[in-house]
Amino acid sequence: MRPRLLLLIAILSVALSSGGSLPEQTVWSGLIIATNSPPIEPTPAEVTQIEGTLRKLFGYSQFQLIGEARKTLKTGEEDWLASSKYFSLHVDSRGEKADAYVLNLKLFQEQKLLLETKARLSKASPLIIRGPQVGDGQRPAFRSEHSSIAYATPKC
Amino acid sequence: MFMKTFEEKWTAWIDDQLTGRELEKFLASLPDRTAAEAEKQNAKQVGSLLREQAMALSNADFFSHQLRGRLDRENAPIRSEPDAIRTGWWTIRRLLWGGITSLAVFAICTVLVFREGTPPSQSQYLTQILGAQVDPTVSPNATITMFQKKDDHVTVLWVDGLQSLPPEYAAK
Repeated sequence: MRPRLLLLIAILSVALSSGGSLPEQTVWSGLIIATNSPPIEPTPAEVTQIEGTLRKLFGYSQFQLIGEARKTLKTGEEDWLASSKYFSLHVDSRGEKADAYVLNLKLFQEQKLLLETKARLSKASPLIIRGPQVGDGQRPAFRSEHSSIAYATPKC
Repeated sequence: MFMKTFEEKWTAWIDDQLTGRELEKFLASLPDRTAAEAEKQNAKQVGSLLREQAMALSNADFFSHQLRGRLDRENAPIRSEPDAIRTGWWTIRRLLWGGITSLAVFAICTVLVFREGTPPSQSQYLTQILGAQVDPTVSPNATITMFQKKDDHVTVLWVDGLQSLPPEYAAK
């Protein structure tokens, strides 16, 4: 049976709004499956700018969004969840410091915590997290894998 | 009694101040009275002339002052009107340049202070991973590697050894 190659991606993006005394920033996060199969859906716009990097890193050619979330940060201390059917990426913002967000990220497989990380997420500098492999269940060697990717980039 | 010298008696005789016995004694002492008389006449003429000239130059001090003033003005170094204006503007220009220079120095110092005081935009830097962990009971064989790809401006948290999952986990 032909193996399937998959990649899970979580994306965070930051948008600046002109209103108000403090600029509001929107963070986008997403879970993406990477695969070498023919594309079913177009690559998400948030991933397009780092698509080349993802291809170099993981060796996959196509990227499919399976879950996303968009959060406008007002206090810088919000939390949100980007989820798919089986995976979820919980993002807990602990405030802005030196023009970057300190985030606690938790990658869940259903209710099971797979990975926990703390990062200082800078604008226009994505955080890419390689998650578990996902195989077709018929091959002892998994050729597909899931990874989560998180990044923040300013939107003008 | 005070004795007058010959010169004093001579001056007094010229001025017709000698009289009586004193005059006789003086005239008797003169070696050449005719020459003395001639000299007296000459002296009187000179005196008259000087008095006339003195009358004519009664405002001599005023004219002298005027004359000196004119000479001073004529001999003074010539300074044209534009020069005078330029000299006036030179002072203002110096003030202007001083002010501009001070403002420039102040602006430079302000910029330097703000650049030192304000951290550079974090967006110029890569995302930093402050820490990462997996549950060893769930993924006992998992390993975590962190690295940055500066050329692509990405930070990667590479986790190996997580439990592999069936393909249905790729569902939306």
